[in-house]
Amino acid sequence: MACLKEDPIPGSNDIKEDSEETEPKDKVREEGGVREMVLPAGNSIHRSGSRPQLDLSGAAIQGNNFEERHPTILLPNQSDDISHLALDIGGSLIKLVYFSRHEDRSIDDKRKRSIKERLGVTNGNRRSYPILGGRLHFVKFETSKINECLDFINSKQLHRGGMDSRLWLSEAPPSDDVIIKATGGGAHKFADLFKERLGVSIDKEDEMDCLVAGANFLLKAIRHEAFTHMEGHKEFVQIDHNDLFPYLLVNIGSGVSMIKVDGDGKFQRVSGTNVGGGTYWGLGRLLTKCKSFDDLLELSQRGDNRTIDMLVGDIYGGMDYSKIGLSASTIASSFGKTISENKELEDYRPEDISLSLLRMISYNIGQISYLNALRFGLKRIFFGGFFIRGHAYTMDTISFAVQFWSNGDAQAMFLRHEGFLGALGAFMSYEKHGLDDLMVHQLVERFPMGAPYIGGRIHGPPLGDLNEKISWMEKFVQKGTEITAPVPMAPSGTTGLGGFEVPSSKGDTLRSDASALNIGVLHLVPTLEVFPLLADPKMYEPNTIDLADPSELEYWFTVLSEHLPDLVDKAVASEGGTDDAKRRGDAFARAFSAHLARLMEEPAAYGKLGLANLLELREECLREFHFVDAYRSIKQRENEASLAVLPDLLMEIDSMNEETRLLTLIEGVLAANIFDWGSRACVDLYHKGTIIEIYRMSRKKMQRPWRVDDFDIFEERMLGSEDKKPRPHKRALLFVDNSGADVILGMLPLARELLRRGTEVVLVANSLPALNDVTAMELPDIVAEAAKHCDILRRAAEAGGLLVDAMVNIQDGSKDSLSSVPLMVVENGCGSPCIDLRQVSSELAAAAKEADLIILEGMGRALHTNFNARFKCDALKLAMVKNQRLAEKLIKGNIYDCVCRYEPAP
Amino acid sequence: MEARCSGIERNSEDGGSKALAPDEISHLALDIGGTLIKLVYFSRNDSWSVDDKGAKSPKGDSPLRVSCSNLDYPILYGRIHFAKFETIKVNECLDFIRSKKLLHGGCWHHEAPVSDKNVIKATGGGAYKFADLFKENLGLNLDKEDEMDCLVSGANFLLKAVHHEAFTYVDGQKEFVQIDHNDLYPYLLVNIGSGVSMLKVDGDGKFERVSGTNVGGGTFWGLGRLLTKCKSFDELLELSHQGNNRVIDMLVGDIYGGMDYSKFGLASTTIASSFGKAISENKELEDYRPEDVARSLLRMISNNIGQISYLNALRFGLKRIFFGGFFIRGHAYTMDTISVAVNFWSKGEAKAMFLRHEGFLGALGAFMSYEKNNYDGLMVHQLVEQVSTSASYSGDKIHSSLAGDLNDSESIGCSVYTT
Repeated sequence: MACLKEDPIPGSNDIKEDSEETEPKDKVREEGGVREMVLPAGNSIHRSGSRPQLDLSGAAIQGNNFEERHPTILLPNQSDDISHLALDIGGSLIKLVYFSRHEDRSIDDKRKRSIKERLGVTNGNRRSYPILGGRLHFVKFETSKINECLDFINSKQLHRGGMDSRLWLSEAPPSDDVIIKATGGGAHKFADLFKERLGVSIDKEDEMDCLVAGANFLLKAIRHEAFTHMEGHKEFVQIDHNDLFPYLLVNIGSGVSMIKVDGDGKFQRVSGTNVGGGTYWGLGRLLTKCKSFDDLLELSQRGDNRTIDMLVGDIYGGMDYSKIGLSASTIASSFGKTISENKELEDYRPEDISLSLLRMISYNIGQISYLNALRFGLKRIFFGGFFIRGHAYTMDTISFAVQFWSNGDAQAMFLRHEGFLGALGAFMSYEKHGLDDLMVHQLVERFPMGAPYIGGRIHGPPLGDLNEKISWMEKFVQKGTEITAPVPMAPSGTTGLGGFEVPSSKGDTLRSDASALNIGVLHLVPTLEVFPLLADPKMYEPNTIDLADPSELEYWFTVLSEHLPDLVDKAVASEGGTDDAKRRGDAFARAFSAHLARLMEEPAAYGKLGLANLLELREECLREFHFVDAYRSIKQRENEASLAVLPDLLMEIDSMNEETRLLTLIEGVLAANIFDWGSRACVDLYHKGTIIEIYRMSRKKMQRPWRVDDFDIFEERMLGSEDKKPRPHKRALLFVDNSGADVILGMLPLARELLRRGTEVVLVANSLPALNDVTAMELPDIVAEAAKHCDILRRAAEAGGLLVDAMVNIQDGSKDSLSSVPLMVVENGCGSPCIDLRQVSSELAAAAKEADLIILEGMGRALHTNFNARFKCDALKLAMVKNQRLAEKLIKGNIYDCVCRYEPAP
Repeated sequence: MEARCSGIERNSEDGGSKALAPDEISHLALDIGGTLIKLVYFSRNDSWSVDDKGAKSPKGDSPLRVSCSNLDYPILYGRIHFAKFETIKVNECLDFIRSKKLLHGGCWHHEAPVSDKNVIKATGGGAYKFADLFKENLGLNLDKEDEMDCLVSGANFLLKAVHHEAFTYVDGQKEFVQIDHNDLYPYLLVNIGSGVSMLKVDGDGKFERVSGTNVGGGTFWGLGRLLTKCKSFDELLELSHQGNNRVIDMLVGDIYGGMDYSKFGLASTTIASSFGKAISENKELEDYRPEDVARSLLRMISNNIGQISYLNALRFGLKRIFFGGFFIRGHAYTMDTISVAVNFWSKGEAKAMFLRHEGFLGALGAFMSYEKNNYDGLMVHQLVEQVSTSASYSGDKIHSSLAGDLNDSESIGCSVYTT
């Protein structure tokens, strides 16, 4: 991968030159009308279309910040993409879940088809009806502003899609009797209004049914849905699907329902309490004159309940009542101090009242929940419902109560999508969408641009097109001071963009929803699969470095922010440096900075945070502002330069004996891994000579032993010892990293050696661009070019069907093709510098089935992720460490140390 | 002396006040809670049985006299008196003690010269908090007894010694329950003071605080004061009696358009969310009737205590739940709600029970502890008469000023052995 550099490139002069160079080329492309997207065909997970993206709905505007642009009609031309809408109309909030379909519009080209055939990938599924690729969106409105909700539905024509399975699959004309699934008390109350305004009938689903269905779906389909929350610290809990039931689901709405869930559709309401969210809000309103639930919650953040509550210490003259384990600070009696004769309601601070009320109700719910869990022997208690709203203090008090009363035996757990249980459940009640069969690995959650700002708040209609997004970012900056969300810092550096300041740590002024969790857009990608060669998929954790360590987090945030101006430069240049590109670059920098600030403030805001997620977030954010491939021209130039010297290198290698050759090839991979945009040291090197010179020089430095050096074991497996010649591997999967020398002078020669030894080779590359990583789209051309000078590669590529399109000149190779094992290219399903092997493309999964050797190359895929991953087959992890901190942490070494880690099949 | 008549004749400033000489009063014990100070003291009266019987037993309970002739101790006949003060008016309590010459309450033999160590038994958090105040003002040393110990010994004493101490309250009907002493344990004792303690009692001195809740009497009174401007706890209770909680509470029917949520057995009148209707944008606090607010609050808290109590009883397999403490104060509606809650959550399997002397468990327990410590050898042997059956239901008020009478306190006639 293009590594995260230790230091930013000062001045970025070299980059500027690049941009100027590439400008004309890109302009031509631009004028071609439709932007050419470097997108892989087929199973792409990110269907960024050629027109404005649809993936905007999570991005939204808080009405009160932008009164001037109240509900707008959005994307009428894209309504055909949207189908299935379900509502949960509660007393205070309307929750809306809708599905937008993202059809596979890419061309299933010949090359791809032949690879699929070869690998035995079938498009058909195990099921009778296909799971559709698409996105699940989550939106909230205030019930009192139901018209906004109606406008939103109308503008998106959501109600035209939510009909039946017939429409689910095809775009039939809207019929007269459109039915929308809905739950919650308001489903009854507002049925007439929906009929009148939208002409739709509300099909009322039972509230409890929906809650349970929603919770079951979330707990099964989303990896890090549940978390614990103690003393402000969130910890995501991964729950084994086979060990989920029974559990207690506590839904805190106006009142509280406690439901014992034994399975899908199997549940019982075992208890409840009338002291719930409505009590908090109702009493709170009477006592504080707050205008909204959120205001009331926010007030509590600054409260001190000691002025209101009678504590054990108040009764015991400041002492603990230790005999029964009550500390002086335990609340003996909520509101017990307001009996004072001298003080009236006006004499108490509303902040204190709100906090006292919040604690009273949260404790009570926690206690009753625990007692019920105990009664039925339930291990897990999940809390959901609008009362919680991701509010840290609420969760803390509930957790505290559960822990206190259970003496630590039980833990309260919360759900990231807590507010949407009912709506999701109503959504699930449509038949035949197949979503209930979705597996964890088929869902990818994305956090669009607006995510850092909206937090857990209610928000109105999502943003429309790219232009709206950009102007929103611009307005956001203008109005920055009024907005409580972290605001991107003032411009800095060469591009005047992308500064980033670590926000001050949590203090008293933390706003009430600061720790609210964001809900992204759920991308449903039915074609994703778990990498079949993982030794233990359940225990697999992609990230090597735990970002839960605050210093680690801060370090990577700093690295990313410092890298930002340079990245923006490149991105703008890749789009021709036009004013439009600059504007987009600007917006991207702001959005990404805001993401970083948000995550710095609340690392768990987007779920469990690993370095891989962070890096992917950056790529996603770039794509969101239509930067398709920021490093395009750099990649191209390096590929050309490397291809030019490849023949010489191959000749040199061929002159060696077997043993020397293998070592040289591995050295070559490690050496070529230095070609990595980002590292200042690497960039300096580029000025000192030609690529081949750098490569040779780098290779000379590759003196064994490397910092991690299992070469001897690998060599023995490959070459055997003395008279014993081992059987060659049947198929090797080579996970490639950077474009240019890395793949061409490093990995390709190694692939060639494997092919020569009779091992089938599958080059595994990114589905979408990420920094200067080579993509699966680009590889066939590179291989074709290399094949011009090498028979081994040519025959293998032909055998692998790679040259069907790419090959231009070689017509006579076909007859040899049968004699060679194939060289293939598959996409990995990712658009990130790292790889999470729980979610890979079906092609890769298919290719893995016959593979008995995996080679992971580069920092992103072999170190940041998967360093500790164990596989069912032989695995070789190769990388040069281009980051001092990582080198120290991971291998107790230094920058430029090398890792050659070989782990034979167990 | 007035104290003697308290709670028996509601306006009895005069009646019988001269029957007891001040020096006949002895043995004082205190329970100083967060909201109220409860005071128990013994007054000697040898002639109680004849004089008072008719007047003091309006319900016609026949006095029960236990023969103790086989014991060697001298028997003192007298009454245990009960009084209460608001904790924030602790000075009134001090004045009261001073005026009643209860100062030497610790000394059973009041004829004896006053010793330096005037010690009285006290419990409740205030026994710690106000220890210095008592020392300074009255020269009294508070001997602190554990609150829970006192509650339990008070309850055990009452349940075993007083004939009709426990009763159920269903649909406005009190029903006394005779409990076999041999089948008393284990039980759950729920003491609702400012906060709520839930104790599993397994025998004399054998108990465990298994749970509790911070939503208790203090919450009712504290929130009630903020919301209604009531001047006293009793006023608030009184108000609640005239209220209608439907105006404030969100009922199941409000959510389901007047229908029951029958699938889960929730009637349309079940409270779905206490104060859930108060979220209405158009109405402020002033727009709600204080009566309705008080009612809603009372139901919320009673219901909650009932529920948590039942869940704890269930957890430990306890058949009986006794509710005591000052929150209840014999208030019918409170008892009714708690009973309904226990009945609702237990699906009729458990019944809430109440104690007639609910407010004085701690104070009584502290009183009993004189015996435990062999302090001057007091031993309350047996209550021989239950005189004030009606008083405990009549909504007794907090003894609010020194000048006022003791008309709402009550007394129990008893015999006491001294060593």
